[in-house]
Amino acid sequence: MISAAGLAKHFRVHKRPPGLRAAARSLFRRNYTTVKAVDGLDFEIGRGERVGFLGPNGAGKTTTLKLLAGLLHPSAGSLRVDGHLPQRRENAFLEKIMLVMGQKQQLLWDLPPAETFELNRAIYDVPRPRFRATMAELTELLELGDLPSRPTRQLSLGERMRCELAAALVHRPAILFLDEPTIGLDVSMQAAMRKFIKSYSEENGATVLLTSHYMDDVAALCPRVIVIDRGRLSYDGGLAELARRIRPEKRVVLHLARAVPSAALAPLGQLVRHDVAEAVLQVDQRALAATVARALASLPVVDLTIENAPLEEVMGELFARSRAECGAGPELSAP
Amino acid sequence: MRGGPGTLRAVSARRVARALPALFRVSFADAVAYRAELLIWVLSTTMPLIMLALWSAVARDAPVGRFGPREFTAYFLATFIVRQLTGSWISWQLNHEIRQGTLSMRLLRPLHPFLAFVVEALAVIPLRAAVSLPVAALALWIVGPQLLPPTPALWLVWLMALVGSWLISFLASFAIGCLAFFMESSRQIMELWLALFFVFSGYLVPVELFPPALRWVAEWLPFRYQIGLPVELLTSAHDLPAALGLVGRQWIFVGVLSGTAAGVWRRGLRRFAAFGG
Amino acid sequence: MLRYIRLLGVQVRASTLVLMQYRADFLTEGLLEICWALTALVPLFIVFRERESVAGWTYGEALLVAGWFVLLQAILEGAINPSLASVVEHIRRGTLDFVLLKPADAQFLVSTARFEPWRATNALTAAVVFVQAFWLIGHPPSLAGVLASLLLLAASTLLLYSLWILTVSAAFYVVRVDNLTHLFSSIFDAARWPASFFRGVVSFLFTFVIPLALMTTYPALALLGRLSLTTLALALGGAALFALAARLAWLRSLGRYTSASS
Repeated sequence: MISAAGLAKHFRVHKRPPGLRAAARSLFRRNYTTVKAVDGLDFEIGRGERVGFLGPNGAGKTTTLKLLAGLLHPSAGSLRVDGHLPQRRENAFLEKIMLVMGQKQQLLWDLPPAETFELNRAIYDVPRPRFRATMAELTELLELGDLPSRPTRQLSLGERMRCELAAALVHRPAILFLDEPTIGLDVSMQAAMRKFIKSYSEENGATVLLTSHYMDDVAALCPRVIVIDRGRLSYDGGLAELARRIRPEKRVVLHLARAVPSAALAPLGQLVRHDVAEAVLQVDQRALAATVARALASLPVVDLTIENAPLEEVMGELFARSRAECGAGPELSAP
Repeated sequence: MRGGPGTLRAVSARRVARALPALFRVSFADAVAYRAELLIWVLSTTMPLIMLALWSAVARDAPVGRFGPREFTAYFLATFIVRQLTGSWISWQLNHEIRQGTLSMRLLRPLHPFLAFVVEALAVIPLRAAVSLPVAALALWIVGPQLLPPTPALWLVWLMALVGSWLISFLASFAIGCLAFFMESSRQIMELWLALFFVFSGYLVPVELFPPALRWVAEWLPFRYQIGLPVELLTSAHDLPAALGLVGRQWIFVGVLSGTAAGVWRRGLRRFAAFGG
Repeated sequence: MLRYIRLLGVQVRASTLVLMQYRADFLTEGLLEICWALTALVPLFIVFRERESVAGWTYGEALLVAGWFVLLQAILEGAINPSLASVVEHIRRGTLDFVLLKPADAQFLVSTARFEPWRATNALTAAVVFVQAFWLIGHPPSLAGVLASLLLLAASTLLLYSLWILTVSAAFYVVRVDNLTHLFSSIFDAARWPASFFRGVVSFLFTFVIPLALMTTYPALALLGRLSLTTLALALGGAALFALAARLAWLRSLGRYTSASS
């Protein structure tokens, strides 16, 4: 349904060096440099899939989403979304999609969200009965209550984002692009949004593309992730598989009956954390069974769990590796 | 010394002095960074040139008062130059910063925000002077040097008037900008000031040509001292004693505006701090 | 087509609702508008104090031009500038993308975003100026003259709108856009005077490049019965061409925005 081949996007940016003389010179002559925000992406996404785009800052995730939404013209390569060329911005295409950006709202600032809903209804030409049904459902699922009737500027960020989601879904888009939708929200609000997006996608068969820096978002919503690194595709597959590739070790969490010296734990594996009642060991996958057996035999273990390394850490390592590879020094990253 | 935001803290003068050039440099770079904006901003202040075209047409058949086409050319080109050098847009900036809350950033710095504003405003002058230079050259070529102040004393007085007029522009704009502490936006008040400025300052019409009633009003409002005075001095409209008298009056306005600006700023800042911006 | 009319209705309604929120502004803005209009008339008053006519225009006749200026300014400030300001705000905040995502013509959405009807007070001021002008001239305008001038009013509005679209198209190239509205207003200011006041390069500029002459002088001439039919036809045609050029410029800028921004 969404297919990209050799997708690329280059920006021409002018360098603004510091200093008085350089500033004055830039008045007359400018140095331009090309930033390759997206540099050859290939992927296929099927209908109803939920895919997460991961990558370090400036990797090109937002640019990719904007290319998919038709907001940017690709510099090279081909891109088709549900049979349309996004850059043409045909009405038929625009009626099928929606882009939600965290921290930026389409809600009219001085008016209650209800007015934005009404405006969207008119623009997307949604018949009134369907509109009423949709809004009723959205109000209930997002727990909006009377929020839509209060001026947007009086709402908190969490309330605004919920209304923003409702405004985005007035026309029940089949393809949803979410660019950091949970940024700045508190934990319970993030969980609520995740739950909502998942159920919306499942009930309507909507395709969801999500970028986020919160691993919980990706873990909860996206069975498939695409890692974009410096504009190129670095991984395309399941999240669990990715974690296993980067950090194949497992974590063994031991709850201990009494304090145990570190020396006793050291031979079992790499000690990640050691409190009075708890010890966390990082153990290679292959030595897992043996290590668990030894731990149970030699230590006063009350409870034992085996986990994967936290995603944040995995991702952190992935990005750190990529930064090391591309070398030190400040680079003009893709906006 | 009482602390609190906005009061001149006991920061060493040397440190402040060291910070200022850097601040100036950065503001200059900032102004220069956007070429298209620069052009637009220059083009927006073309009113005097349009007025020149207009009044030249009027004076074609017969002079208006003592103004023939040459006198009008001198007057309005001088107006353009003076406006470039003394214009101040700080009220818009203040409105924006207070509204967005970014004023707090300034208050955190160990540099009195007022000083920072002044330096930033001064940083655009070199650019504007550069823009004015060709116009000045043009004026000299068309009109000839006869109309310029004949004595060094008068040049000095003109310089004082120029500084005074910059101060009036800046302080008035600043004070009105500070009103944004108390209301949603002081944009309308600034527009009102501008409207009165256009009429009473000599920007559109030399004050000399006003009907007597209007002329009397213009003498007692600050607007004429904002543009009219330096322009008149530059075109030798007054002799030394008259010039000194007028400049004296101008600086009284500067004094009054300084006090007003300081007062509004201090009160406003207290309110800002109290309500958290 | 019907859809766009309905959309216009929705936009106007939204705009009105916003205005109801800021009721106090209505009065103050209205007064300010009248103030501005009066300042516009002072130089004219001074110019004509001493002489009967300038460049072939008497005081009453020049007042007609000033009246048209006030009227057009009311339309500019009430119907055109507010939307311009909102586009500028969108570009600054990065929310223009949302406009582009909607399945409706972006130019339409952007042009109808906001109206400020309190500026209509200056339409009344213009009416007063017209009455005064004709009282000075001594006889009322002919019916043909009035009709011609109304046609020109439509053409002038279209022209103003196109100029505005051109300005907004520039907003895509310019990062700090605060001065754009000022630029527009200052250049427009020259339209206060009868076109023949300007000579040479400036006259050419204001007749063909930024046709201010067309917007205020021609309607005045029409009311005075001095406008030829050919000039009228040319003016209307010119306005239409200008509108087309503006549309092309807008589409071009939009193309650039989507190709060179993030």
